[in-house]
Amino acid sequence: MENIRIDATERTPEIDFNFQKGVFLIKEESYPEDIIAFYNPIMDPLKKWLDSQRGSDIVFNFELIYFNSSSAKVLMDLFDMLDETAIHNKVILNWIYDAEDDNMEELGEDFGEDLENATFNMVTMVAKE
Amino acid sequence: MLGSELFRLKNDFSNAGIIFCYSGYFTEGTVMGIGDAIKKELILDDTDPQTLRIIFSIFVEQVQNIIHYSAEKEIREDSQMLRYGILTVGREDEVFFISCGNKIKTNDVARLAQALAAIQAMTKAELKKAWKEGLRSGPPKGSKGAGIGFIDIARKAKGGIQFDFEELDEGNTFFSLKAYI
Repeated sequence: MENIRIDATERTPEIDFNFQKGVFLIKEESYPEDIIAFYNPIMDPLKKWLDSQRGSDIVFNFELIYFNSSSAKVLMDLFDMLDETAIHNKVILNWIYDAEDDNMEELGEDFGEDLENATFNMVTMVAKE
Repeated sequence: MLGSELFRLKNDFSNAGIIFCYSGYFTEGTVMGIGDAIKKELILDDTDPQTLRIIFSIFVEQVQNIIHYSAEKEIREDSQMLRYGILTVGREDEVFFISCGNKIKTNDVARLAQALAAIQAMTKAELKKAWKEGLRSGPPKGSKGAGIGFIDIARKAKGGIQFDFEELDEGNTFFSLKAYI
């Protein structure tokens, strides 16, 4: 599977999907004008790849500072998908957030609490000045 | 004459606690422009980053409601659809608020009022549950977004939400929603 790298824009997050290493990143802000046009081309190959994995180590890093409700739907699907993958693989999800940001902390807890198979870590980072 | 008219308008805003107002067609460009002004503290200075983030995120959901649902619209030559609405940001007794208003079809009032009254009555835990169900179940009929924008607003508006409907003419109603942060 070809790795996927997309730079962040004001409205769309940085994407770094490294299928060789099994390390994935979604970073910055997400409120795309067209949610389907942005996420479908990256979520479809990801889903295919995840479905094909057995006994792999997979790390997914979420380093978001803001996302809208349409993006929350994509994230919920992704969490559910990763939890499913974790039945046959070792899956770690890291929710990386600004220590001052209570809202992002709460959202991380909301998503993380439904995971049954994957490992979920809440990771605080020091705010950039 | 002109000066006094504008000054009166400015005073009306001040009396209503309004710090910022946009009334006109909303496009994705206005979302970026106003959103950027909120984030860069041009609209509200001296506000803690946490509050600014919440204001920004409620702003995005409210504007997306206008862009998707305002019944007052115009299709331009380049076939871009423009939707009309009004948005204000202000402060009442030290509590920030964001209000938005737009025309809707009177036929949609009952459904919308019922959904918003249900959201308004929910506890924090119930809002979370409804939010998760909304994220997992897909958009309701007639919705272009995730259909959970209102729940999202209610979760972030720690001071609660208010809504109102004002019938304008045959078939049209003005819908307004106010969120207190």
